[in-house]
Amino acid sequence: MEPLHFNSREQRRKIRGITVLSVFVLLIIIMFAISMNTGYIRLSPLDVIRTLVGVGTERQEVILFDFRLPRIVISVLVGVGLGVSGCILQSLSRNGLADPGILGINAGAGLMVVLFVAFFSTNAKAPVLFLPFLALVGAGLSAALVYTLAYKRNEGLSPTRLVLSGVAVTAGISAAMIVLTLKLDPQNYQFVTVWLVGRIWGANWTFVLALLPWLLLLLPYVFYKAKVLDVLNLGEQIATGLGTAVEKERLGLLVASVALAGSCVAVGGGIGFVGLIGPHLARRLVGPQHEFLLPASALIGGFLLIAADTLARWIMQPYEIPTGIVVAVIGAPYFLYLLAKSQT
Amino acid sequence: MFSLRKEKTTKISIVFISLLALLLLLTACGQTESLSDKNTTDPSNGENSVSDATNNEESAKEQVVKDAMGHEVKIPAHPQRIIASYLEDPLVALGVKPVAQWSVGNGQTVQDYLQTELQGIPTINYDLPPEEVMSFSPDLIVIGSESLVQNGLYEKYAKIAPTYVLGDEISNDWRKTLLKLGELLNQSDAAEKMLQDYDQKVKEAKEKLQNAIGEKSVAVLWLTQKQFYMVDETRSSGAVLYGDLGLNPPNLVTELSEEAKATWNPVSLEKLAELNADYIFLVNSDKAQGDITLNDPIWQGIPAVKAGHVYEMSTSSSWLYSGLIANEKIIEDVLKTLVK
Repeated sequence: MEPLHFNSREQRRKIRGITVLSVFVLLIIIMFAISMNTGYIRLSPLDVIRTLVGVGTERQEVILFDFRLPRIVISVLVGVGLGVSGCILQSLSRNGLADPGILGINAGAGLMVVLFVAFFSTNAKAPVLFLPFLALVGAGLSAALVYTLAYKRNEGLSPTRLVLSGVAVTAGISAAMIVLTLKLDPQNYQFVTVWLVGRIWGANWTFVLALLPWLLLLLPYVFYKAKVLDVLNLGEQIATGLGTAVEKERLGLLVASVALAGSCVAVGGGIGFVGLIGPHLARRLVGPQHEFLLPASALIGGFLLIAADTLARWIMQPYEIPTGIVVAVIGAPYFLYLLAKSQT
Repeated sequence: MFSLRKEKTTKISIVFISLLALLLLLTACGQTESLSDKNTTDPSNGENSVSDATNNEESAKEQVVKDAMGHEVKIPAHPQRIIASYLEDPLVALGVKPVAQWSVGNGQTVQDYLQTELQGIPTINYDLPPEEVMSFSPDLIVIGSESLVQNGLYEKYAKIAPTYVLGDEISNDWRKTLLKLGELLNQSDAAEKMLQDYDQKVKEAKEKLQNAIGEKSVAVLWLTQKQFYMVDETRSSGAVLYGDLGLNPPNLVTELSEEAKATWNPVSLEKLAELNADYIFLVNSDKAQGDITLNDPIWQGIPAVKAGHVYEMSTSSSWLYSGLIANEKIIEDVLKTLVK
């Protein structure tokens, strides 16, 4: 039984958390609707509703369910995955600048994707379902590389070194990707350069199927470990003192974060910043307790990406700007603002 | 969750479609007489006048064929609204007009040399965004390369209309492309005749050129964004000049073709100084920007330039493209300049 005088603060926090979560769920739903309406072929909202209910024309159904919906669903899923991944990374490394993109995870996954595309056709169903797994392997390798480079025996994981080695590894791998593509598969050169920027390239239901199991598996695990993350945040010594198997838990969560980022990147391209901004905003809105921070990061990440994707498809019709560019346009200034703030 | 919704919509769709089909059937029945008349006496489908006689023999009916990627495609008997982006050359040669034409930059760049035949036809972006394709309601889509339908794009196009992928093997060879399209459009005989006519033209042109310039060598250069490019021996205008017409390529072309991967390969100005071609055909895309590169002393020092044997081809010419019509125009240009 908690002492009475703690109740009101707890309650306030919980109410606030739930409100924020509900607001973002609503925002995502609204953005969903707007996104369904966006596209080269004009569909009136009435048409959209009618098609959703099942009385639209075949043509409208094709537009909504085959062209637009897969992409919208993917953008939400990827946003959720990246948001949670970034949240874990930031908490584990206790570094507000951590994000799967910066830490070279995206690049590692990307390298695998490029190799995959060079050797397999993306039209066959079976190989595509393996893609997130391959990306995960690549992400894991590059994450391990970054970790090794940044870890110093006596100092542990310094935030600056982490970011620096992450940036270096990303640059190196990105360059390798381009060179590899030129050698193996010049036709796909444009694909790689666009991929590096970040674009929802796999926009059909097969890709959704490929991504969904990973999210369904990893997200519950991560949410379950919310309290563990809270404890780890207090520092290694305190955490051990409180009885947490620090190394084991940290490794598990790290693997989950890399797996989430890897599989999302496999399907959504090298989109950076979502894992950075999502958790940041979430932290400001709901505070540092992970029971709310994790879902909030997920929802804000999801909302950010679906909004960016809709904008990317709408701004320069009939062209589609790669989603990653819109995210970067929003993300880079925010990132700079963070850096500036952290120095004063 | 998704399958449930699809089931319900599929059921309703089936009802609607069968009602529609019934309606169409009833209307069609009443018009069978006039329809068959239309087919035999009035080749209004835009088919070549040459193929008038042969057309009656080739029964134009729906075909089910397998494309380069193994898809089974049902080609309609008389496609009226074709989208065959970057394949407009063979289409026009076969006398068929597409419902949308290839373009880059939202209509900014089109195939200029085909514009007399393609005038008024709206443009579609070269990467064929599915919704844009759908907005034209095509009844047949022909795609050149497999790389254009990756990442699940094929399924999307297939939902709009029967989609046939030629494959790189065919689309990189303009003759095979022409024959294949002829096959799909029930004009195989016409296509073969056109190739025979072309070969005849080539033979005559070859003789004239042999008499006019003998063994002298010819180079084809493209100047764009202040960078020179040289054509690959076996592609585009290179294939026409060196392959068909048998003209001699200069030293640099043979060097380049060994390691070349693209149709047009960048050549530095310094390297060009070694060019020993007697004649240069130059496609000058920098003309509007003042083509200052041509004032460079290295360019001026090249033997062919000094002798004044540089012939500028306009950017609206067909020298950058490949196809029956493109090649015929290239041959005309060559004859006009080299055979006095």
